[in-house]
Amino acid sequence: MQHTVSTKTLVKASISAVVVAAIALGTFILPAEYNIDPTGLGGKLGLTALAQAAEMEAAPVEKTKGSDEFQTIEVTIAPGRGVEYKFYMKQHDKMTYEWLTDGEPLYFDLHGEPEGDTTGYFESYAIATTNEMKGSYTTPFAGSHGWYWKNKSDKPVSVQLLVKGQYEVIGLKQ
Amino acid sequence: MPSNMVKLLTYLTIALLALVSIEAFAHGVDDKTRAFLEQNSGVQFIPFLYIGAKHMITGYDHLLFLVGVIFFLYRSRDVLLYVTMFTIGHSTTLLFGVLSDIQVNAYLIDAIIGFSVIYKGFDNLGGFKRCFNWQPNTQWAVLIFGLFHGFGLATKLQEFSLADEGLITNLIAFNLGVELGQFAALALILIMINAWRKLPSFQRFSTVTNTVLMSAGVMLMGLQLTGYFTI
Repeated sequence: MQHTVSTKTLVKASISAVVVAAIALGTFILPAEYNIDPTGLGGKLGLTALAQAAEMEAAPVEKTKGSDEFQTIEVTIAPGRGVEYKFYMKQHDKMTYEWLTDGEPLYFDLHGEPEGDTTGYFESYAIATTNEMKGSYTTPFAGSHGWYWKNKSDKPVSVQLLVKGQYEVIGLKQ
Repeated sequence: MPSNMVKLLTYLTIALLALVSIEAFAHGVDDKTRAFLEQNSGVQFIPFLYIGAKHMITGYDHLLFLVGVIFFLYRSRDVLLYVTMFTIGHSTTLLFGVLSDIQVNAYLIDAIIGFSVIYKGFDNLGGFKRCFNWQPNTQWAVLIFGLFHGFGLATKLQEFSLADEGLITNLIAFNLGVELGQFAALALILIMINAWRKLPSFQRFSTVTNTVLMSAGVMLMGLQLTGYFTI
């Protein structure tokens, strides 16, 4: 049943496959997935907004660099959802934190992911289910550090997070 | 009758696809699955079975390759043979990859999976015979690309630090789920292709279909390689 097409058809098929793919990649896929927009069309079509939204979904924070004074960050977690709030910290950087919810306990995992790691490795510093916690930690390696919170209840829960120390805010990852 | 059936199946497929959420199409593992995997340890047979099946059914790269593989197979014996080769391939590396903790870059593996789609489209057009007067053994090719597809599955699973407790049982459940998902998807694809094969348009559009397949492969590869070099 399989037949060999003529050389002319084969060349035409191969070239059109690559050309169509290149156009789709350049105008739609790369702008929407990675915010890479070689033609500028992705921006005009509003596709780069998709990639940017993933980067900037964080609630606006007043300052992005840590200091000796506490800064307050508000995070709201939809029912049944989990969110991550992360900070970039160098090795041996220290963070002091306090967080509390509006009463509802949350499952949380305070953890760090090494910089440049692609394997998905992470190290957990604390895992529990509670509605408040205070403490501090010094990072064992450079990378993104922070909380994973999971709201197992059926109503939204807001978390107030107070942090100070040496860090840069990365923000929310859904 | 056959043309009505094709129409009906087309509508059914479109309706089914409309039900699949965007979240499922993000080819990683979604938030709920992630939360589940991070919070549960021990033997979780049915959940892992389900995750495996869902991953296969929503994994368009695996499905595109399968469409290419069975495109010109019309005897059930051949379909069974090639699907078995593919299954042996991906089960081997899935189990081996997770158990021996081999970490492969997900973007590179997914790029190779994209390449397997390009290969199959090109092969279906008779490109190897035409260009090199030689065609790679198609059964071996399915087995070898099956090995890479398995590494892809293993990498997705390893994105979570899976608990050692019950790991082997969970892995087998995931693998069985992958096979279930594959057979469910395959059944649908086979019904559609076999119905279509009887129509004159199959011959007319087979070149176009395989060109589209190649093009989709190039897109997948471009997407993954860009991810590899920029992230």
